[in-house]
Amino acid sequence: MRMSDYIEQSFSNLARRKLRTFLTTFGVVIGIGALVSMFAFGQGVQKNMTDKFKELELFNCVNVFPPTMQEQSQPKPALSPSAALRVNSVEGTKEEPQQAPVLDDDLIQRIGKIEGVESAFAEIRFPAMVRLREKERFSLVQVLPADVCQSGLSKLLAAGEPYASDDANSLIISDSLLHGMKIKDAKTVIGEQVELSTLRFDPNLLSPAAIASIMRGDEIPFSRESYTFTIVGVAERMGFGGSMPVRSDVFIPPGPSEKMKKISLTSIWDFFSAAAGPGQAKGYSMVTVKLSSAKYVQPVKQQIEDWGFKTFALIDGLKEIKRAFIFMDMFLFAVAMIAITVASLGIINTMVMSILERYKEIGIMKAVGAGDRDVKKIFFFESGVIGFLGGIFGLALGWAVGVVINQVANYFLAKQGVPYTDYFSFPWWLCLGAVAFSIVVSLAAGIYPTLRAARVDPVVALRHD
Amino acid sequence: MNCASFVQTEGLTKVYSSGKIQLCALKNVNLTLAEGKFLGVTGPSGSGKSTLVNLLGGLDTPSSGRIKVQGRDICELNKEELAIYRRYQVGMIFQSFNLIPSYTALENVAFPLLFAGVAKRERNQRAAEMLTRVGLYPRKDHRPAELSGGEQQRAAIARALVNQPKILLADEPTGNLDSITAKEIVKTLADLNRNQGVTVIMISHEELLLQEFAHEVIRLRDGEIVDREKLR
Ligand SMILES: Nc1ncnc2c1ncn2[C@@H]1O[C@H](COP(=O)(O)OP(=O)(O)OP(=O)(O)O)[C@@H](O)[C@H]1O
Ligand SMILES: [Mg+2]
Repeated sequence: MRMSDYIEQSFSNLARRKLRTFLTTFGVVIGIGALVSMFAFGQGVQKNMTDKFKELELFNCVNVFPPTMQEQSQPKPALSPSAALRVNSVEGTKEEPQQAPVLDDDLIQRIGKIEGVESAFAEIRFPAMVRLREKERFSLVQVLPADVCQSGLSKLLAAGEPYASDDANSLIISDSLLHGMKIKDAKTVIGEQVELSTLRFDPNLLSPAAIASIMRGDEIPFSRESYTFTIVGVAERMGFGGSMPVRSDVFIPPGPSEKMKKISLTSIWDFFSAAAGPGQAKGYSMVTVKLSSAKYVQPVKQQIEDWGFKTFALIDGLKEIKRAFIFMDMFLFAVAMIAITVASLGIINTMVMSILERYKEIGIMKAVGAGDRDVKKIFFFESGVIGFLGGIFGLALGWAVGVVINQVANYFLAKQGVPYTDYFSFPWWLCLGAVAFSIVVSLAAGIYPTLRAARVDPVVALRHD
Repeated sequence: MNCASFVQTEGLTKVYSSGKIQLCALKNVNLTLAEGKFLGVTGPSGSGKSTLVNLLGGLDTPSSGRIKVQGRDICELNKEELAIYRRYQVGMIFQSFNLIPSYTALENVAFPLLFAGVAKRERNQRAAEMLTRVGLYPRKDHRPAELSGGEQQRAAIARALVNQPKILLADEPTGNLDSITAKEIVKTLADLNRNQGVTVIMISHEELLLQEFAHEVIRLRDGEIVDREKLR
């Protein structure tokens, strides 16, 4: 028998039972549709995240933290013998620093000299009241050096451009904050003046009278200072888990920041150090180091850790993230597999039914010279065609579901100022793989019915009734 | 080629065993038939006529004994070789016609050519020729349900002969037909036998038809040949 004949035969045989073929194929369509949309979602989320990270060069970043409090005040001999042993073996040769290292400007300069480091800047964030077009919003202001702003943040700008120098009296505002102020068109605010009012904890205000007014609730022990900036750019809010260095609503260069009277609020520790006065500063709570390439991450981390600091690089977390994605993919796959299993049971049922119905026809085939192999192939092709049609239409269904969910999700997220994002990704291998998988599953479902068809005894099938 | 033993069986035996009961449908049947003959097979119901024809047609395999067709032992063929034997060497027709209901007459006749790997155009052309030969060409696009019993049997004959086999096996081809139509069908078979040289083996209960058209008649009883009559 010719290949073209097998294909023609299976289509015409399936066309004889249109409704049944449709229903069986529809089962496969739903299974494959579920598989495709779920995989596309998994892929979309993954792609979004890694693309965004790559775009923002977050993989080239190392965060430096001071040693934790416990480590600073570790009581050495009071540990249990086994723990003490472990500590000794780990830190055996290393000399314990007498004083806890501090994240200060000196350290930032030292880090800047390590090979591969592009820039290092302290993360300084402080709360401020943002006043624009007669509207006020409370927000976090982040200090970001001009070069980081140009290399990292510029890719996120919805309008305008990054500030040019560290001393410019300019700022970048996020579109979600504008959204909160009911300003729809981001472009119109470029060049406008904005007022930042900082709060400063003032020890002088801690007089009994002031405390009494706090109790009454009409006065707080903070002093307000106002500064005027020009908006030069509007940043998009990140679609996904915004990580450093851009997670604030307002960015200013370090120059004007130094002149501002403010409390830094990266940690409660900063709050107290600020309260204790500038001389008592315990250093920054975090320093971000930008590298020229991801290959420097390990050596730079090593060097900084040798100085006694803690470090974190997103690239280390990537393995964890990937593992989480594999887990998510497996879960989605399991759900889709249930649908596929049900669909294959449908195929087996349809094919067995079809063979019982065409029992006599199989006898005729054999009587006119069909071999067992011909009979097997005829039914195998029918299963394959169900799988092929199911795969094609399942792919279409999965794609349609993805598009609809994507539109709906973006419609609602746009209201919260999240930029348009494709949450579904249909790489070529997913499309081809879905159709191939559908055919393979259908052929597998066709094995048993096919063997049954080949076993039909023509003498029994043709005995007149 | 020994023409006197075109089809030959030696000690052909078929035993059906269902559970503990063993049923001997054919016992030690020895039969020789020359090429181009028209053999009639008759006998009471259950005497093993269909069993014999199914064995000769390669649809079934004997319990013991041999079947030689053109000097070749078909009992030694494997399943695929047997399918090829059925495809090219023999054509079969049945009492209940066994046409595929959803196919037209033309599609039914062309069906065996599918397994012979013949291209679609040629399949239709050859099927149309065969329908013309049995006088059914005008009804080629009708389905079996729209044809009379005689027309259906003609379509079945055309189908049996479309691969140009040397042997035509007919299992009570007239069993479902009225006597006039029955005679027409048997006459068609006799004409094919005479004009094309096809060897015909036909089972029939109708003594008169056999007397009129067959060259020889064998009688079976309880799986054994009890009589062999040469008519012409
Ligand atoms: N598959 C089978 N299993 C068991 N017994 C069988 C089988 N096929 C046929 N037989 C038995 O073998 C014997 C011969 O059957 P066969 O069909 O050859 O008879 P027949 O001469 O064609 O009869 P009829 O004129 O009624 O068609 C019968 O007794 C029948 O019951
Ligand atoms: Mg019979």
